[in-house]
Amino acid sequence: MTKKQMDTGDILSSARAAGRNSLDESAGKALLAGHGIRVPQSRVAKGVAEVDAVMSGLQTPVVVKVMSPDILHKSDAGGVKINLRSAAEVKAAIEGMLAAPKIRGARIDGFLVEEMAPAGHELVIGGLRDPQFGPLVMVGLGGIFVEIFKDVSFRLCPIARIDAEEMLDELKAAAILKGARGGKPASREAIIDVLLKVGGENGLLMQHAAVISEADINPLIVSDTAAVAVDARFILG
Amino acid sequence: MNIIEQFTPLFAPKTVAVIGASTKGNALPNVFIRRIREFGFSGDIYPIHPAADEIDGLTAYKSLADTPKPVDYAYIAVSGAQIPGMLAAAKGHVRFAQVISSGFGEVDEGKALQEELAQAARAGGMRLLGPNCLGIYTPRGRVTFAEIGPKEVGHVGIVSQSGGLGTDIIRRGLSRGVKFSGLVTVGNCADVTPSDLLEFYLADPQTKVIGMYIETAKDGRRLFDILRHAKAAKPVVILKGGRTRQGLAAAASHTGSLAGDDRVWVALARQTGCMLVDTLDHFIDTLLIFQTLTPRPQRPTQKVVLFGNGGGTSVLATDYFARLDLDVTPFDQGPIDALAALKLPPGTSITNPVDCPVGTLQQDDGRVAEKILDIICGQGKPEALVMHLNLSAFVGRTKPEVLDNLVAAAMRVQEKYPGQSHFILVLRSDGEPVLEARKREFRDKAVALGVPVYDEMANAGHPLAALAAFERYRAARA
Repeated sequence: MTKKQMDTGDILSSARAAGRNSLDESAGKALLAGHGIRVPQSRVAKGVAEVDAVMSGLQTPVVVKVMSPDILHKSDAGGVKINLRSAAEVKAAIEGMLAAPKIRGARIDGFLVEEMAPAGHELVIGGLRDPQFGPLVMVGLGGIFVEIFKDVSFRLCPIARIDAEEMLDELKAAAILKGARGGKPASREAIIDVLLKVGGENGLLMQHAAVISEADINPLIVSDTAAVAVDARFILG
Repeated sequence: MNIIEQFTPLFAPKTVAVIGASTKGNALPNVFIRRIREFGFSGDIYPIHPAADEIDGLTAYKSLADTPKPVDYAYIAVSGAQIPGMLAAAKGHVRFAQVISSGFGEVDEGKALQEELAQAARAGGMRLLGPNCLGIYTPRGRVTFAEIGPKEVGHVGIVSQSGGLGTDIIRRGLSRGVKFSGLVTVGNCADVTPSDLLEFYLADPQTKVIGMYIETAKDGRRLFDILRHAKAAKPVVILKGGRTRQGLAAAASHTGSLAGDDRVWVALARQTGCMLVDTLDHFIDTLLIFQTLTPRPQRPTQKVVLFGNGGGTSVLATDYFARLDLDVTPFDQGPIDALAALKLPPGTSITNPVDCPVGTLQQDDGRVAEKILDIICGQGKPEALVMHLNLSAFVGRTKPEVLDNLVAAAMRVQEKYPGQSHFILVLRSDGEPVLEARKREFRDKAVALGVPVYDEMANAGHPLAALAAFERYRAARA
């Protein structure tokens, strides 16, 4: 076993040991980073007092997200503030969150302060353990494409490169990724790379099939050169 | 022991034991004994009975452990509760036991009994088929549960989780010219699963095409792994029941809520090159095309020429094939000029679809048709040629041998351009008994020559699209 594999296994086993049935956002991103998937630079501030120290290592603009085992949908709870350009703005955002009705009573582990990803296409890459077939990997475009049109493709893990290519080609929205209607193309290479790191032979889902029951990387922001996992959820069990 | 050696006692048993036959000769197992004798089984048959000395003129034995020779295959149809004890008593004397009886895992109160049955089979040292199934049909071993079925050993290997559907597959296959290398009904799959039989058929030199009827794949991961490692060496056609009913376990994530059970099967097909079909007809149609035609991954099927009588039929078929991603596009100028030079009678369309009235087709005992076919294959160079004949239009207007002449002409053109165009025949009729009888006779001849025959254009379209998909898969992944 390589060091990288041991590290990502540790992330999962310590979450299990702490009695959690999901990974918090920063642990989820550490897991992704451990598998070579790009995530935004981020630091955790326990509270307002730590903001100055945390901000010194990050480039603005940043996004702040509440970290709580009680809050599954952070945006809906008012636990996400984007496009913050200074430590003062970050502190104000945190104070606002602490006063929000859906956050006030929750257990709070801290606040994730994170560099904002450059603009790009929003994709979703997911994983799921089927009771009969084991791990599956999914890809689709974010927003209405996933939510309304259910325009996604699934494969059984492990996938090979050709499977990743075919997954992208069978999306109804495939033309959008290639830059239809004057848009910028998304880097196909970068998406395939993430798909293989998630669902490939030595990918995250295969390695941790016994522990991860569901996974969402949503969104994966893909520019014409790179893919960055901006949010991730892992459900254990 | 390799997989072929493991399953040879099932597919070609030398000894068969039968449990449940009555001295009065009227129970299902008595019927089974009669059937395998009629089917030409030449090995030993051992009725097992607690009291009788003889059943149907055969010496009966008290238990599976008492037979003179070890039992390759035991057919068991008695009430469920007594079976585990019988299997456990076999003590390594039985290779395969098939339990026809029901009342096991398919009902809640039988789940424990099924577990007991599986344990007894392990304790008795045998593989278990069923329970809740109908039997096996294995022409190479001259054993069959079915009332009818060709004796000829064919190339299509079937495993079915439904016994009744297994019977349908044999019967419909018989009427369509599908010939089987074996058909095994596995029912509740307490031990042997469809994946086990898939593994056998993949290795079995007699089997060229594999068909599976699956309701639940408890060992789905193993099924995937077997298919994946087989790299589409043989076409596998899966008729999946319960694709819409079963959802996955309630899911908390996006991905989970988007993954219906169907997505898994679609993924399985795309990744492994197996073919999913939705109906029994599509299943038989698809098996037939792979039985008769050899896939050509080096030139995947795309361009299709339609040739026959019936203008509207040609137009509708062109649309239908296009929806299946098959190209029925007009010829280039070369073949059009060559066809025009034949100076065919008015009413003949020569662009693809090539639409010929009966009069043209029967000219010179089919020799004109041969010239047309020669131009289609030699110059049009399609990957597939579908010849469709509306039999109603031939009746009373043609000599009976015209159909033979047409197919013979097509076969000669096939030989002249080997490997050029898959040849498919569609024989259309209106259900009138005389026509149906003629169609049936003619279909048998054509299938024997290696030509797949379909009733309508749409029925030909689906299997042709499946063949094309299989060829593309092999081309992309070879």
